[in-house]
Amino acid sequence: MSEHSPYSDAVARLFRETPGAGRPDGPGWANGEAREPLSATHVRWHLQATGGRVAASRYEVRGCPHTIAAAALIANQLAGRPLTDLGLDLPRVAALLGCPAAKFGRLFVIQDAIARAAHVLAAEEA
Amino acid sequence: MSADPIYLDYAATTPLDPRVRAAMLACLESPPGNPAATHAAGRAARARVEAARAEVASLIAAPPAAIVFTSGATEADNLAILGAARGNAVRGRHLVSVRTEHRAVLDACGRLEREGFAVTLLTPDRQGLVDPGALRAALTPATTLVSVMLVNNETGVVQDVAALAAECRRRGALLHVDAAQAAGRIPIDVVALDVDLLSLSAHKIHGPVGIGALYVRREPRPTLVPLQFGGGQEGGLRSGTLAVHQIAGMGAAFRLAAAEGPPESARLEGLRDRLWRALEMLPGSHLNGHPVHRAPHILNVSFEGVDGEALLFALDDLALASGAACSAESGEPSYVLRALGRDDALAQASLRISLGRPTTVGEVDTAAARIRAAVERLRSLAPA
Repeated sequence: MSEHSPYSDAVARLFRETPGAGRPDGPGWANGEAREPLSATHVRWHLQATGGRVAASRYEVRGCPHTIAAAALIANQLAGRPLTDLGLDLPRVAALLGCPAAKFGRLFVIQDAIARAAHVLAAEEA
Repeated sequence: MSADPIYLDYAATTPLDPRVRAAMLACLESPPGNPAATHAAGRAARARVEAARAEVASLIAAPPAAIVFTSGATEADNLAILGAARGNAVRGRHLVSVRTEHRAVLDACGRLEREGFAVTLLTPDRQGLVDPGALRAALTPATTLVSVMLVNNETGVVQDVAALAAECRRRGALLHVDAAQAAGRIPIDVVALDVDLLSLSAHKIHGPVGIGALYVRREPRPTLVPLQFGGGQEGGLRSGTLAVHQIAGMGAAFRLAAAEGPPESARLEGLRDRLWRALEMLPGSHLNGHPVHRAPHILNVSFEGVDGEALLFALDDLALASGAACSAESGEPSYVLRALGRDDALAQASLRISLGRPTTVGEVDTAAARIRAAVERLRSLAPA
């Protein structure tokens, strides 16, 4: 992107390719949702687990380019992590994407959706 | 990006017409002359200014002496609102305007509120029109000024200014009209509209940035307090050496608009409607503003289920706006669309597509196809 673009190259690539996006088919998935009304950000996160760890991750997202790119980045980092420890290093995600401070709150929508999906999945596994 | 984007943001600014550029260059390449000077070069500069003044006045059916050159429509709005309110403060300290006005008007009203004036902001109906009855109800004996734009810069809605002027006359309030988006796009007759003050911009109709004008009615002449002092140019209302090349450019742009405006507006209206027909095929597309009372060059559409900023980014090969260009950096839902009753999500998921002299059928069709594809892709990403 040009030096005047508000979006980093990483945001541009992840926004364009959105790896891991979509609604999964098949059994064994649980999902969680979160919203932020003012910006109308809406995230639904899907998780599949094996042995208490994330086996696969998908997401649906309505949001700004930074939010969409963050979802794509995070989805790629969850596999293998224990359901009981899916906390995100949001400052690092923001730094990797060049996310402006004013939008930092939108990343919490992703974190909340993941936490809710993990909670559902953990309850089902128990 | 290898190719230039298709430019569809003519409500923000327009490219300089080559004929306007030629008029400006003729000034810049002439011997220097301050229009206030009495020597030959000064008189030549003054002649250029007065010729341009007549060209600007002609487009709005005004006498040339009623035109005051400013740095743009923002300054004209400020001069009209601050100048009229302060100049008539002994009569009353109440103003009326509309929630959908440009920030140049709203912020000037805000400034006056901090000076102790009272400001009533009217809410238009869901299609963007101001009800004359609502204005009548808002006017008080203390109301000295009403400010209503002729064409809204986001939606293109055209107000019934003559009907609003009639209400102002009944209560003795002055009427200011921001016509930055109207000039050259729809006919303007300041006598028929019965306005006291009217703001104009050059760069919205292929003139240069940095020059505008305020029409000030001659009879009866409203009392205005100037915003700047020193030199007494422009009848004492706008001191400062006149920028002759800018003024000549504005004159040329307004002359061209007068000559070419009606057929060009009809052409743009056809393109605007062609674009809307292509976009309304998308389920969940909403036209913002009035379906009939709107300017030919602006189309504002909201799309359900998408984020406006993401849509704009996905359309990086189109130069268009999400909300007003002046407030796009805030990322917040458009205050204009919210005033029309759109919820935050739809107000935020809007595109303002504005057309201009260089716009072609091919560009419109390409834009429609890209917008539809981008909306469909973003909807496919979003939770159902």
